[in-house]
Amino acid sequence: MAAEYVVAHVDDLPSGTHKVLQVAAREIGVFNVAGRYYALPSNCLHQNGPLCRGSVSGTVEASAEAGWKPTWVREGEIIICPWHTMEFDIITGRCLAEPRRRIPTYEVTVVNSEIRVSIP
Amino acid sequence: MSEIRDSTLEGRAPKKLPKDVKVIDVDVHAHETPAALIPHCELPWRKSLEVVSKVPERYLDIPFFAPQMAVWSPPFPQSGSERRQIVTSASQMRQDLDQLGIDVGVIFPDNLLLLAALRDADYATAIARAYNRWLIDEWLGEDNGIKGAIVAPSQNPVAAAEEIRRYASHKHVAAIYLPSCCVEPLYGHRSYDPIYEAAQETDLPVMLHSVTAIFPVFPFNLNCFSTMFSAHIVSHGLSMVANLLSMMETGVPARYPKLRIGFSESGLAWVPWIMMRMDKEYKERRRELPFLTDLPSTYVRQMFFATQPIEEPENMKEMATIMSLFGGEHSVMFASDWPHHDFDHPNKVLQIPVSQETQRNILRENALRFLNMKERA
Repeated sequence: MAAEYVVAHVDDLPSGTHKVLQVAAREIGVFNVAGRYYALPSNCLHQNGPLCRGSVSGTVEASAEAGWKPTWVREGEIIICPWHTMEFDIITGRCLAEPRRRIPTYEVTVVNSEIRVSIP
Repeated sequence: MSEIRDSTLEGRAPKKLPKDVKVIDVDVHAHETPAALIPHCELPWRKSLEVVSKVPERYLDIPFFAPQMAVWSPPFPQSGSERRQIVTSASQMRQDLDQLGIDVGVIFPDNLLLLAALRDADYATAIARAYNRWLIDEWLGEDNGIKGAIVAPSQNPVAAAEEIRRYASHKHVAAIYLPSCCVEPLYGHRSYDPIYEAAQETDLPVMLHSVTAIFPVFPFNLNCFSTMFSAHIVSHGLSMVANLLSMMETGVPARYPKLRIGFSESGLAWVPWIMMRMDKEYKERRRELPFLTDLPSTYVRQMFFATQPIEEPENMKEMATIMSLFGGEHSVMFASDWPHHDFDHPNKVLQIPVSQETQRNILRENALRFLNMKERA
């Protein structure tokens, strides 16, 4: 059964920032991406590195629609593992290099200005 | 009693060839001398070929035409460099392929394996055009299973694209040959986009094919080795590796999703190695290759690989394992490289213990898809 944990007050997690916390004997990352909150386990599926201790960033994409021009996109939505720079989508947990794999995402709610993460 | 004549293939038909499979061989070689191309070559380069035609010819090594430059190691009698087994006509090729148990053969050149070494773009382009005319006129005139790969001169990709469009509708043109020996820049360079556009548009596959040379471009700067043993391994295998990496860098398989890309004359064992190395590196450096939307191995699994010169471990089951690592059941195509010194008789590939279906794929079905050939009537 999922347990809910209060991880921060909204004032402590402004837009564009994230925190790494120890919650329920595990390390997690809590993110404020443009006013919305997300949480991920701090475990990279590559070599089990401390994913959320890495930097939040954007990434580079190139598509036929954009004339195959490398473009900087999704600033603030990508977490980069500090060990081998593997990229993950903060919103979905999807691994950018291995799109069929993802890490779990935790449900986040805000109650009375408290950010709560639900951990299974 | 009958005398065995000069064919070394006579009476040596493949032993275990399934009777109902008509074998496609994606790499056989026609011998184009400079003299043969003279009437097909435009001026002023015809004049150059007239000079070149008087230069003594060594095996895959003619100054000004096929500059192999691998003349630093000692030769031995009947070694690779002295042997000179050539096929000079379509009828001879047909006869040889019959004796090899092969139904369809795709012609690649002999000397023009070194075309990319030529530094004068206009000269190289004229020779490529002359070769294509010669190929069409002298080799592809009959419905006898002889197919051809037209050569794309790397020195002039726009002209190469014109050649592709000129000949694509010819019923016996089956592929586009990308000269990979000494090519610079490597085949991922954006300057080659016209070639890939034309190939995708005309639905012809591109086939990379290298050969041995010592030349000051990677991976042919082989002055560090003392034997043809080493030079031959590096010239073929690492050329495929280098060009595949280059094509990945600029996202060729992503940017041309319908383009069929084949790799020839490097065997198979390199494929899982480079595929796994690319996947490993990609995880760390994905942003350098933003054109790809998946692991490099995903694209490698869409590419095609010719068998020859097949690795020969004592237990050929190892080759079945190696193929399984990159989905080779659906992408490996038989190639003999006839009549070159290191040709593979079908007997060798038939020693790989795979299912009948996979054997059939390797001998025919995968090549049918690669070449987009309809069943022969």
